[in-house]
This record gives sequence, structure tokens and C-alpha cells, in this order.
Amino acid sequence: MNLVVQSVGFGLVTASVLALASVGLTLQFGVTNYINFAYGTYLVLAAYFTMALSTRAHLPFLLAAVLACLAMGVVAVGIAKGVMQHFVSRQAPLFYLLIVTFGLSLIIENLVQAIWGPGFQTYNIAVGSPLNLGPFSLTPIQLIIIGLAVVAMVAIHLMLSRTSLGKAMRAMSDNKDLAQVSGIDTERITTWTWFITGCLAGLAGIALTVTTVSFNPASADSFLFVIFAAVILGGIGRPYGAMAAAAILGIVTEVSAVVVSSTYKDDIAFVALVVVLLLRPQGLIATRGKA
Amino acid sequence: MDLILPYIATLAIFFFVYNILTWGLNIQFGYAGVLDFTFITFVACGAYFSGVFALGPGQKSTGFEWILGLSWPFPIALVMGALAAGLLGIVIGLIAVNRLRSDYMAIVTLATGTVIYGLVSNYTPLFDGFDGLAGLQTPFSQWLNINYNQFTYLWVGFCAVVMVICWFIAQRILNSPLGRTMRAIREDQEAAEAFGKDSFRVRLIAMSMGAVLAGVGGALLMGFIGAFNPAGWTSGETFVVWAALIVGGRGNNWGGVVGSFVVAVLVNEATRYIPPIPGNATLIPTVRNMLIGASLIAVLWLRPEGIIPEARRRFYQLPLLPGRRTPAEGMGSAGS
Repeated sequence: MNLVVQSVGFGLVTASVLALASVGLTLQFGVTNYINFAYGTYLVLAAYFTMALSTRAHLPFLLAAVLACLAMGVVAVGIAKGVMQHFVSRQAPLFYLLIVTFGLSLIIENLVQAIWGPGFQTYNIAVGSPLNLGPFSLTPIQLIIIGLAVVAMVAIHLMLSRTSLGKAMRAMSDNKDLAQVSGIDTERITTWTWFITGCLAGLAGIALTVTTVSFNPASADSFLFVIFAAVILGGIGRPYGAMAAAAILGIVTEVSAVVVSSTYKDDIAFVALVVVLLLRPQGLIATRGKA
Repeated sequence: MDLILPYIATLAIFFFVYNILTWGLNIQFGYAGVLDFTFITFVACGAYFSGVFALGPGQKSTGFEWILGLSWPFPIALVMGALAAGLLGIVIGLIAVNRLRSDYMAIVTLATGTVIYGLVSNYTPLFDGFDGLAGLQTPFSQWLNINYNQFTYLWVGFCAVVMVICWFIAQRILNSPLGRTMRAIREDQEAAEAFGKDSFRVRLIAMSMGAVLAGVGGALLMGFIGAFNPAGWTSGETFVVWAALIVGGRGNNWGGVVGSFVVAVLVNEATRYIPPIPGNATLIPTVRNMLIGASLIAVLWLRPEGIIPEARRRFYQLPLLPGRRTPAEGMGSAGS
């Protein structure tokens, strides 16, 4: 029983990482209306940026992480403008973009491998010894990740509900054409969306690799579809749904690792994905016209 | 001469096998518009099952363990491998094809592939986990007394025969009413359904038939190499077949032949024989993978229909009726 309670604690950490990643993906999915299969490599790329800045350029880890997130945002905008925009503006069929992002993931993963090598990398930060907080035992780093995720989620909520950018994003997610004729500069909003997506992917990538301690170019490959599972479970383009789904999936996968085996915990997320697709393809919070 | 001929023979085998694979993906995506992002899983299924049908029983004590181990003759094992892949195609199709949006298909196939990859790699009693199957006797060796070089030439011939059979199957489907229905669903699923076509069932058939060809290709690789493990079917391998189909031209099987020659033989296999750069052994495969990803994007950007575009089908029209647009016109020819 103690083990199960313990694993709920780890589940909160996984849920935090997953929430950062899936909110980033679902925001972009909602606004641009196509999914980015290269998203997993964005996570990895940001982790390598951080590693390069902190261990090679000897910047403090926090500064390196912040710079890496911003850089990832810029890279995401650059890729969207340089590659995706071409297909979007020509109104190419959806599958073009899926194949293009699929190809991008291969390019980015191998680019990372060409620059930094295929081996495992680590950050030069101390993980710290676990603290006992009530029934949970978590390291300071894990607590920071949970705190970071909470702060980021509140910030996303404030952005979506209080700023004109957030309102415009929600409007575009609901109906792009209607948003455009209402005078929303959809191109500018799309650019900002990509930037925010890139930053959140960066945060999630750093959080993921800090919790797994070591990472390599393929580290986010299997995590990508856990993110997909959270996005679909939450309803496409629904940030709040993604948060809820991330919390559920994070805790369920970690608790299941106690019962089954940690080798198969991604499979639990997959089962959840399949069950949702078969029973409720529109997600927990339905989005009209998007399922 | 002693080196060049076996080298060409090896490339020929890969060319023939990749032809079969590209036609398989063409049936799934080129004909029916199913976005199968885990095509290599069906190839692996064919390879593994043909392997365990042809291999002797695995023994846990020796560190080699796998299911079945029936020591059947290889041609029968090949058929079993193809059937197993076809069954897997139906199973994955049941989840993946049953959705409206094509991104759901892509997500589900990719996720299923990742899960199967993890299961096969970690659960050793199935196919010996990460070590994979090994030690398959060269096929036909129980009837013929030949050395390895002679076997390579024999295998070129065997692959050629199997490839011709697969060509007829792929062409037969393309030109059959079933193939027409597949293309109609690809172009406009709702219109096809309005004409009474069961798009779910037809796409399931396409998924499974494509998987059968994938399984045949996998079994041929298994018979040639004699071993198969998870390193041979990483998700990057799926890109190779996709790039071959997109570069060559989807919806017609000649495009698949051109694509598999350019991408799978020239870029993917021939570069394996370039000696590694000292000090950076992984650079060549890395650059190769980037090239394959870039070729996908470049072709969709510059010439989305591929080197050999799908032919516009002409139907007899009364001269006085206004001309109709055929589906092959316009930028996209596959459904959303």
C-alpha cells in the first residue's frame, strides 16, 4: 500500500512533465489544426540546448534552461515559417503536413545525433536526496518540476482567459475563418502559438530529462505518444482537458508500474489511448467539428 | 569480380524486397489513403513469424528462446509470416481505420508500433527480446548443396519470382473494382459512403493486404540474413519505405519501383558499404537518415505527385456534356 502511495508521488512528477508537454502540443494542434509529429524531437532538442549551454558553455543551469526554452520557441517558429507555412498557405491536404512533420522528426533527431553523438548525456546538477513529505518521498528537483508545472499551468490559464492573444488563440481554435473575418491577425497569432509551443516543449523536455537523469537523441520517442494520448484524452485543442488528462495519465501510469512492471508503463498509456479512441474519440471535453 | 558480383546480387535482393514493401505501403496509402506510420512493424511481423516457423525450437537454457520453432521448409514459413502480418494488419486496422480524421490513423499506427516494439524487445519468450532470432539455416540448404555465394544468387532468383507474384497481386487489386473503391474512398470518403461503399471494411482490407506484402518482404529478408532483431526495425526504417513511395509516386506501382530504386537501393543500402569516417562512425547513417527525411519534404514541396505521377483515368464521356474534373487533378490526390 505504501508503495502505491509512493508511486502517486512519482505520478505527480510524470503528470507535471506530461502537462507541460501536452498543453504545448494541444494549443498548437487547436490553432493550426494539424498535429506535429516532430514535437517529441523538440523536447529532446531543448534538452541538448540546455546541456550544451550549461556543461559546455558553463552557464548556470537555470539560465541555460531559460535560454534553451526561448531558443526552442524561436526554432519552432522558424520551422513553422520555413517549412510548414509553405504547405499551409497552399492548402495542401492534411496528410502532407503529417508526412512533413514525420520527416522533420527524422531530420531533427539525426541532426542532434550528428552534433552531439548517439550516446547518453547527463546534466551537471545534483539531483539531491529525497525529502519525506507526508506519505511521499520526492527529491528537491522533482518538487521544483511539480511547482514549475503548476506555475506554467496558471500562466497558461491567465494568458488564455485574460489576454487578447489568448482570446484570439481560443477564437482561432474554434473557427479559424470566423476569427479571420472578425479582424484577428491569424498569421501573427499562429506565430505566437508556435513560439509558446516551442517554449513549453522546451520546458517539458528539460523537465523530462532531469527526471530521467540521462538522455539520448531518442529519449522522447516513446514519450511522444503518451503526449498524444493526453492530448486526445483531453480533447484536441483543449488545454484544460490536456491538463486533466495529463494528471490522470501521469498518476495511472506510475501506479500501474507498481502493479505490472515499469517496463510496460507506456503500454498503459497506450491502452488508455485506444479505449478513448474507441469509446469517446472527441475526448473528455468534446470539441465540435474536431473529432 | 569475386566481390562485385555478390555485392550487386545483395543490392538486387534489397531492390526486389523494397519493391514489394513499397507496393504494400502503396496499397495502404496510395490506393486507400490509410496513413500507416508503422509499416515496418508488419515487415518485422513477417520476418519474425517466418523465422519461428522455419527455425528449430528455441531452448531457454542456451539463451535462445522463441515461440513455435517448427522447422518447417522456408517457403511455407514465408506464407505463414505473410499471413501473420496480414492478421496484425487487421488488428491494428480495427483501431486505426475506424476514425474520421487521418491524423488519428497516423497517431494510432505510430503508437501501436511503438508499443509492439517495446513488447517484442522486452518480453524475451516471444522472439528472444533484444537479441532477436538468429541461426536460421540458409533456405533450401536441406535440398541443395550450395555455398553462401551460390545461395545469394539463388536468393536473387527466388526474390524475383516472389516479387513478380506480388506485382500481379498489387496490379490486380489496383485495377479491380475493389481498387477503384479504395481510390474513391481516398478521394472522398463521404461521397463513397453515399454510394453505399463500406469505407471501414475496404480500408481494413487495404491495411491487411498491404501488411501481407510487408510480411512477404520481411520473410525474404529473414531468409536472406538468417537473423532478425529489434535493431532492424526501428521507426526510422518506416521512413525509408515512405520516402520510396512518396519520391517514386504513389497510386501506381511503377512509381514504387522507381522510388525503391532511388531511395532504398541508392541512398539507403548502397551507402551502407561506404567505409565509416574514422572517429565518427555514426555520421554516415545519420546523414543518410537526414537525407531520407529531407527527400520526403522536398518531393512534397516541389513535386508532390512524385517522379511517376498516378495516371489520370479517362472515362468515356458524351461529346456534348461539359467536361468533368477528374480526382487526379489539383494539388492533392488523397483524402484529408
